[in-house]
Amino acid sequence: MTSTVDPISLPQAASNDTEIDREALASLLVEIARNVDPDYRARFDGVPTADPRMETLRQLLVGREISELSRVTHLLDEPEQLAAAVGGVLPSAAARAPHAQLGEALAPAVERAVQRSIQKSPRTLTDILYPVFLPAIRKSIGEKIDQTFQSLNETLRHIFTWHGLKWRFEAWRTGASFSEVVLKHSLVYRVEHVFLINRNSGLLIAHVTADNATSEDPQLISSMLSAIQDFVKDSFNEKEQSGLDTIRFGELRLWSEVGPFATLVAVIRGNPPEELHEIVRDVLLRIHDECSQALEQFDGDSSQLAGVETQLQTCVELKQEESNQGFPWLVVAAVLLVLIPAGGWFFLSWQSGQRWQAYVSRLGTQPGIIVAEQKVRDGQFYIAGLRDPLAADPQSLLSGTQVDPARVHSHWRLYQSLEPEFVLKRLTASLAPPDSVRLSIVNDRIVAEGEATATWINQARAAAQQLSAGGPVFDISRVRDVSPEEREAERWQAYVSRLESQPGIIVAEQKVRDGQFYIVGLRDPLAADPQALLSGTEVDPARVRSQWQFYQSLDPKFVLKRLTASLTPPKSVRLSIVEDRIVAEGEAPDTWIDRARAAARQLSAGGPEFDISKVRDVSPEARAAEHWQYYVSRLEAQPGIIVAQQTERGGHFYISGLRDPLAADPQALLSGTEVDPARVHSQWQFYQSLDPKFVVKRLTASLTPPKSVQLSIIQDRIVVVGEAPAAWINRARAAAQQLSADGVVLDVSQLRELSLAELNHLREAIQATDILFYSGKVVPGPEQTAILDRLADQLKEFAQNARKSGVTARFMLTGHSDATGRETANASISAARAETVRALLNKRGVAPELLLVRGAGTFEPAVPENSRTGNSANRRVSVTVNLD
Amino acid sequence: MLQKKICMLGGFAVGKTSLVRRFVQSIFSETYLTTVGVKIDKKSVALPDKTVDLILWDLAGEDDIGSFRVSYVRGATGLVLVVDGTRAATLAVALTLRERAEAEFGAMPFVLLFNKSDLADRWAISDSEINELRQLGWQLYLTSALSGEHVDDAFRQLASMVTQ
Repeated sequence: MTSTVDPISLPQAASNDTEIDREALASLLVEIARNVDPDYRARFDGVPTADPRMETLRQLLVGREISELSRVTHLLDEPEQLAAAVGGVLPSAAARAPHAQLGEALAPAVERAVQRSIQKSPRTLTDILYPVFLPAIRKSIGEKIDQTFQSLNETLRHIFTWHGLKWRFEAWRTGASFSEVVLKHSLVYRVEHVFLINRNSGLLIAHVTADNATSEDPQLISSMLSAIQDFVKDSFNEKEQSGLDTIRFGELRLWSEVGPFATLVAVIRGNPPEELHEIVRDVLLRIHDECSQALEQFDGDSSQLAGVETQLQTCVELKQEESNQGFPWLVVAAVLLVLIPAGGWFFLSWQSGQRWQAYVSRLGTQPGIIVAEQKVRDGQFYIAGLRDPLAADPQSLLSGTQVDPARVHSHWRLYQSLEPEFVLKRLTASLAPPDSVRLSIVNDRIVAEGEATATWINQARAAAQQLSAGGPVFDISRVRDVSPEEREAERWQAYVSRLESQPGIIVAEQKVRDGQFYIVGLRDPLAADPQALLSGTEVDPARVRSQWQFYQSLDPKFVLKRLTASLTPPKSVRLSIVEDRIVAEGEAPDTWIDRARAAARQLSAGGPEFDISKVRDVSPEARAAEHWQYYVSRLEAQPGIIVAQQTERGGHFYISGLRDPLAADPQALLSGTEVDPARVHSQWQFYQSLDPKFVVKRLTASLTPPKSVQLSIIQDRIVVVGEAPAAWINRARAAAQQLSADGVVLDVSQLRELSLAELNHLREAIQATDILFYSGKVVPGPEQTAILDRLADQLKEFAQNARKSGVTARFMLTGHSDATGRETANASISAARAETVRALLNKRGVAPELLLVRGAGTFEPAVPENSRTGNSANRRVSVTVNLD
Repeated sequence: MLQKKICMLGGFAVGKTSLVRRFVQSIFSETYLTTVGVKIDKKSVALPDKTVDLILWDLAGEDDIGSFRVSYVRGATGLVLVVDGTRAATLAVALTLRERAEAEFGAMPFVLLFNKSDLADRWAISDSEINELRQLGWQLYLTSALSGEHVDDAFRQLASMVTQ
């Protein structure tokens, strides 16, 4: 069978053209019809171009496909719809695509897309990547800043130290920056342990330790480290992937680097540089690269990861240790050894040069020394010049200059200096002038002054002639020629003339013989002592023989002295010498005038005249007045007497005032004053002086203190000291109180109460004594005599002792009766008994005024009355003692 | 070196710490429990063919389940559940803790220890209850921290379970 139409091409044609090739289709149908019925072939020669049945047939055959096809075509033709359709399947298509191919296919597109996005708006991608990059950037920046600070810190710390200088040199030598060198040297650290820890379970994968480093069980440590990481993360809600990256404990630091599957923890001792972070991180990355699968699948069996230890080992080997090379001490020491002596030598030679120059200039200023030449060579000093033998010794001048004498070579030539000082010295040495000669330099001339013997003067003259021309002049013209004898004679004459000028001394004769001095003369006892005049004359007293006879000088001075001594003129008289006459002036009583007149007459002829004409006779009234004044002043000095007024009128004296009755009697004081009592009219009023003396007197009179008490005046206070009965002390106190109102202090604080212990003993004995009577009797029986005797003695002793103590003792005798008989009779009998005893005691010498008597009747029985006969013990006289 | 991380879970005062005190290597003091909430000890168990180091994370016992730090269980390959045999309630606590751990990190082998077996007179868990649990195929041990009874057995059992 043949066909004009290739069936295969139909769909293809159809796909290209929505219009169906109707002609071909019709031909095909005709062909089919011809095959079915050959007649039909003959009838139809052509095919009608438009036959609706063809269309119907087509619809019947492929209508569904056509509509489906048109939908798909439409889908493919409409980009929006196609995009929606592909979008629906794209995710799953990508998921199913082989990874490598898809990646390769997508990579360029993605790259372009990213590129495009960045070009368009970098912001978007930045926003996307921000959470990813930020922690990494932050960490990196942090480390960089730490690194910078560390570098800065270390640089600053070492910048001015010796190390700093050394390191600066090293930096210059190696071309590195200074801070790098500083870090290299100052960051001393050592990685001691490295732990590689499984991030999931905290189990230890590997652990490497540096030599000599120790630690506890690394398995436990690694687990605990990750537990602590978890703890911190949980406790502070930290969501970041990284964990604790630094733990610091003193010298020890734990740095941890977190990787995807494992954490690397380095334990570092010391001060590590921040770059170490990077090194550790690199090691961790390398481990992850090489064993990522083994790490991911780690289940506690570390045998799979044995290789990582070598990687860790590289970390542990990291360290920076202090250079042991140290400071080149030996070199420095050697240099110092050379430098110190050299410097010392230079200094010492400079110093000795200075000293030498000081010495030379000192020599130059010395008189009598002329330095001609001086030099220093090889540490030796040479000096040459002239010196006077009398000048200072150059050698001795060396001492104190610290110039070594052994290194000084001197060459001195002696010469005689003509400088006056040296000439003077030489003259002094050669002439040996006596003490009486003084050599001195006056205007460049040498002048000798004083006294000398003729021989010395001759020597000096010869010396003066020898002094060469050009030298100073030696002037000896002022030296007097004296020999020792002459000098002594001169001195003696000086003494004698001194004596002769003394008033009251008359030198009769004097001579010098054999070195002894003899002198004879008269001297008034009142004149100066010739012996005393010797002192200061340089005359040897041992060689003086004196013979003085006393006489009365008629020299007016001596006469005056004698008159003054013998007449004792009153103060109102003045004696004086007027033109060799002795004149008395003033007032004197007639008695004195009489005596003076007698003395004037006694003055022998030839003596000075004693003129008393100018002495007025003092009047009796004046004398009386003087006496009165003396009396008044005497009164005024009396304690307890106050003179209020006193006058003298018509030869009578009137005086009035106050006087204490205890003061001295003014009348009595008149005696011895030469005041005529008949002409004295006194008017005294009594008063009580508060002068302590008077107060004491009054107190003594009024208080009558017992003998055991003493009143004394101490610094205007009256002090009472001693023992006294209480009653007296009370009176004294009362007096003290009264006196205090007048401003007088009476101190009774030192009074002690009188101790009556001894008296008390006696008093008890007395009071225990009873004199007993027979019934109805008033006279005690003879058997009571002894008791009465003893009682009397006791009473007397008691009274006496009490008196000594300033108290008066009184004894009460009380008579008693028994209860028999009438009461009135008993009362009288008791009183009678007491009277009887008083009489009996009186008879035995007890003073009656001390004995008091009373009758007590039956009222004070010694024992209770219980029988009709009466109790004998109640018939008695008892004694009680009273003190007042 | 074979190691396994094991977590010990149990309520307050069930005796976890004293249970292991005598049988483990430890370098950390018990104050870690109160500060960090975990204390790590090591128990080496020799199995016929190998030795395994059990790294025991002793988690602070809390009756308040809410404060349980489940993050400490991460990476664990086995659990030791400890119950106080004298307090029935601690069984429920141990089981709840196990559920929490497994919910977070998946199922893992465990042993269940009924501790304080020396206090027989105060025992509060019935035999039937224990038998029921055994029926589930669980590994149960009656232990005493005082006598050390069965403690080693339990660790050995767990070691062999986690290394299979």
